[in-house]
Amino acid sequence: MQQSLPESLPRVTRKPRSWLVILDYLFYAILAAAVLGFIYYLYTYRDTIALDLPFLLQGAAVTIILSVISVVFAMILGFLGAMGRLSRFAPVRWLATTYVEVVRGTPILVQLLMWYFGVGVVLSQAGFDPQNAAFQFMTVFQSNSLVPDGFTAFFYGVIGLSFNYGAYLTEVFRAGIESVQKGQSEAALSLGLNSSQVMRRIVLPQAIRLTMPPFTNNFITLVQDTALLSTIAVLELQQQMSTIADPLLDANKKLFIYIFGALIYLAICYPLALLSRYLEGRMAVAY
Amino acid sequence: MGLIQSALPAFLSGAWGTILYCVSSFPLALLIGLLLALMKSSRFVWLSTPANIFIEVMRSTPIITQLFLLYYGVGAILVNFNLAHLDNAWVAGITSLSLNYAAYEAEVFRAGFLSVEHGQTEAALSLGLSSGQNFFRIVLPQAIPLMIPPFVNDFIYMLKDSAIVSVISGSEITSTLNYWVSRHGSNPLPLYALAIALYLLLSLPTSYVARYFEGRLRAAL
Repeated sequence: MQQSLPESLPRVTRKPRSWLVILDYLFYAILAAAVLGFIYYLYTYRDTIALDLPFLLQGAAVTIILSVISVVFAMILGFLGAMGRLSRFAPVRWLATTYVEVVRGTPILVQLLMWYFGVGVVLSQAGFDPQNAAFQFMTVFQSNSLVPDGFTAFFYGVIGLSFNYGAYLTEVFRAGIESVQKGQSEAALSLGLNSSQVMRRIVLPQAIRLTMPPFTNNFITLVQDTALLSTIAVLELQQQMSTIADPLLDANKKLFIYIFGALIYLAICYPLALLSRYLEGRMAVAY
Repeated sequence: MGLIQSALPAFLSGAWGTILYCVSSFPLALLIGLLLALMKSSRFVWLSTPANIFIEVMRSTPIITQLFLLYYGVGAILVNFNLAHLDNAWVAGITSLSLNYAAYEAEVFRAGFLSVEHGQTEAALSLGLSSGQNFFRIVLPQAIPLMIPPFVNDFIYMLKDSAIVSVISGSEITSTLNYWVSRHGSNPLPLYALAIALYLLLSLPTSYVARYFEGRLRAAL
């Protein structure tokens, strides 16, 4: 027997919302106006740009150089840290864990200040001057003019950044290594590879793929954190912005310098963010 | 030791300042973040695009640059409009911390909403709930437990990032530290040790509580 449908099935009626879609087109118009307005805003300050852009770009170059050097050292520290955290020897494990927990539990700004005004001052009382040491060292190669004026701040800045990001990369690398299935290293060991071969030939090549997206994310935050080096007077982008903007009396011009500097940071970091998202997408497909 | 003893009261009141900055900024960040997440997942371009632009800009510029922009850039404009009383470290610090973190929290909210199966929404809508009811009664209660661990994580990040307010001399641990170091420049290491110990005291218990709840959550799911 066929069951009849109830007479009054409630009809699903959706309210027409097309009038809200009209706002979309209105929005495109407003967006175009806003973009044009912003370009005009930049255009009205073209003299300021022409005057200050070289300094800002110089700062941006210092920012990029700083981040690249720091990330290389941070990778070395992170690799050592990951090896330590996965070590068979308990004291090594404790040391690596303490390093990670202490560094990740304290602000990077305090660490940077500690390296420069704390450790740096104590070391210079003991007679160690990085500027002088680098100068002496480069004299041997007859190229001591390559040592820049603010080398001491740069030196401690790189140490502080690498020390901090070493801890974060320790966790990234450890997670990557642990994510490679244990069966893989067991198979390799039973095929007669020794443990360092297993690490170099089997585990690491697979772990590197998995660590790429979080590594890129850490690199982006590293680039942004180089702005903190302005507190120890490294002449990077943020410090250049402040030195240009502080003496200005015109409030609008002051604001413009800060907005323009932020745009340069955006131009550096946004492509990196897109790269990280691309890598994440590829990783999701790969397995 | 005597130095640490004499510095301790000032540092403790600095720690209170750090807590105040975070406790006032984080709820604001959550509120703005929820708004941004809802805007970003909207069907309407006029809602989603502004949210997108805001999130990308906030996440791609350093927080210290945003702080300088607000305190010195916008602050100078405020002074011109006779609003100088708004240009202080508390207003600039809390505004920049909450706006910056709102961008990150928006992504947490969105990931949380996306992790609730779409079938639940379909079932709720076919049972006759309105989309507002569906959001508040079905999606949000299921998403919140998933979002708590990342929120606690971000709160710890905020505890640490509030140190950046010291560049505009807000009254928190790092500002106190800078003041004391400038007075005792020849023997600074104990002061740094004290500041680091205070930050660890604030952040480590929070992260252990977060890990404990994460473990319980994993067990529950």
